[in-house]
Amino acid sequence: MPEPRLPDRFHDLEPLAAVWALSTEAERHARRLASGIEELRAFYDALFPRIGDILAYLSEFPLESLTPEAQRLLHLAFSLAEVGPAVELFGQPEVPDGYDSRRFIPADGQ
Amino acid sequence: MESTKPDGNNGGGLNGGTWHSRYPELGTAPVPIEPYVSPEFFELERERVFRRVWLCLGREERIAKPGDFFVKDLAIAKTSVLVTRSEDGKIHAFHNACSHRSNKVEWQTKGSCAAFTCPFHGWSYRLDGRLLAVPDEKSFFDLAKDQLGLTPIAVDTWEGFIFINLSPEQTLREYLGEWADGLQGYPFAQNGAVCYEWSTELRCNWKLLRDAFKEAYHVAFLHRRSARDSYTGRGNPFSHALYFKLFPLHQRWSLPANPQYAPSPLEAEAYRYASFVLKSDFTREPPAGVNPTESPSWVLDINAIFPNYTIDMLEGGYFTYNFWPLSVDRTLWEVRTYFPRPANAAERFSQEHARISFRDLIMEDASTMERTQSVIASGAKTHFMLQDQELLLRHDNKILAEYMGLPNDRTKNRKKRGGTHARAASA
Repeated sequence: MPEPRLPDRFHDLEPLAAVWALSTEAERHARRLASGIEELRAFYDALFPRIGDILAYLSEFPLESLTPEAQRLLHLAFSLAEVGPAVELFGQPEVPDGYDSRRFIPADGQ
Repeated sequence: MESTKPDGNNGGGLNGGTWHSRYPELGTAPVPIEPYVSPEFFELERERVFRRVWLCLGREERIAKPGDFFVKDLAIAKTSVLVTRSEDGKIHAFHNACSHRSNKVEWQTKGSCAAFTCPFHGWSYRLDGRLLAVPDEKSFFDLAKDQLGLTPIAVDTWEGFIFINLSPEQTLREYLGEWADGLQGYPFAQNGAVCYEWSTELRCNWKLLRDAFKEAYHVAFLHRRSARDSYTGRGNPFSHALYFKLFPLHQRWSLPANPQYAPSPLEAEAYRYASFVLKSDFTREPPAGVNPTESPSWVLDINAIFPNYTIDMLEGGYFTYNFWPLSVDRTLWEVRTYFPRPANAAERFSQEHARISFRDLIMEDASTMERTQSVIASGAKTHFMLQDQELLLRHDNKILAEYMGLPNDRTKNRKKRGGTHARAASA
């Protein structure tokens, strides 16, 4: 079975999805911590201008009716939520002088 | 109705505080540090507090169906607790200890089953704790199987929150008392239909963790990056509270948001669908204990249940903290965020944004605790200097000492550590 792709209207974001369409918080947070701030800014700058359209598209789907393509888009959007504070507030991947977030363990599968 | 406005900047001064004057029995003196660092005090907390209080283990949706169970290891009680829902829908709690040789019966942290089977020698137990079967039973002597079920622990629920008590002195509802009246009927299940959680072990005394969430004085400094001016602003530069209410054991306090706060660009997009700070879909007005001052700038109530649990209420959801003591300088912190079921995937995104922003903010709160622990046992400082807005820290120390049967003012006993605690142990 081929990997799902993003919905057609967002096909131009597929290169971003290849890196950032991650299904768990642990994966998305690890990706944030493993990236430099320039890479995080590039991701934010590429995705944020589309978030209005993305959310309008996603608002048509009850969660239990998500297609695999829409699910991939939602996971990509989740990564924007993960990366947003680093770019908008902190200017670096980690919370400055913060508790080591790798010790803050999310529930299994979250 | 209590005062509806924060008191601006005029809460300063040891004897001029607005809130302390309402609770003169607390006094305004510095608060001793010794209870935060003393191993003897920790053992007294174990025996005189944690074995006697109602302890919250989360919500009953964790065991929604008959057969569901979860296990909570409780270092402070030197036990492991197995919580089950039996076929008839009732909730039970037991020490997770096999009647044969006290092995842990259930080794998973959660699941669903028809019966529990001990991996050691195969003894099995029903969901209600009764002993079901003993392999090679004929080789035992006078086995009274009807007396060899799992050892029960008192368990009860309040508004869907599961509480246990290792030796109850009063019912759960009596324990929660007048504090609970203000939240009775709040739609916790509806507004908490989805739950996200994290946990971590911190190298600090549990009371340092507890204290961190009992005052907003730190907000302008510690959260200057994550919260910016959400809770401050020109009218309230030090995030003074709207309201404090001290109950005999429990507490409630309310915080305002800054009406001039401008959300970040991503925040503004997320707010269009959901957040912690947007209205839940109440079918009726919330109970009187939510936004008790009915302030239009209200954002958050913190409800603290003695000794180690908080339920923090916002419009768009709520979150809870457990502070589990592991040792005098180790604590397990469990954080759960609760939201209404998202109506669509855009709302789900907005809830994700809210909970991730919240997670990053509490990494700032957590940043002080191990740093404090690394110097607090030095003896360099012997007391905390608390201001009016730190009223709850003073209250917490007082009620803890009273609950333990200790004199509240321990400065008089501040000689050798051994002398102090020999007196305390015989109190």
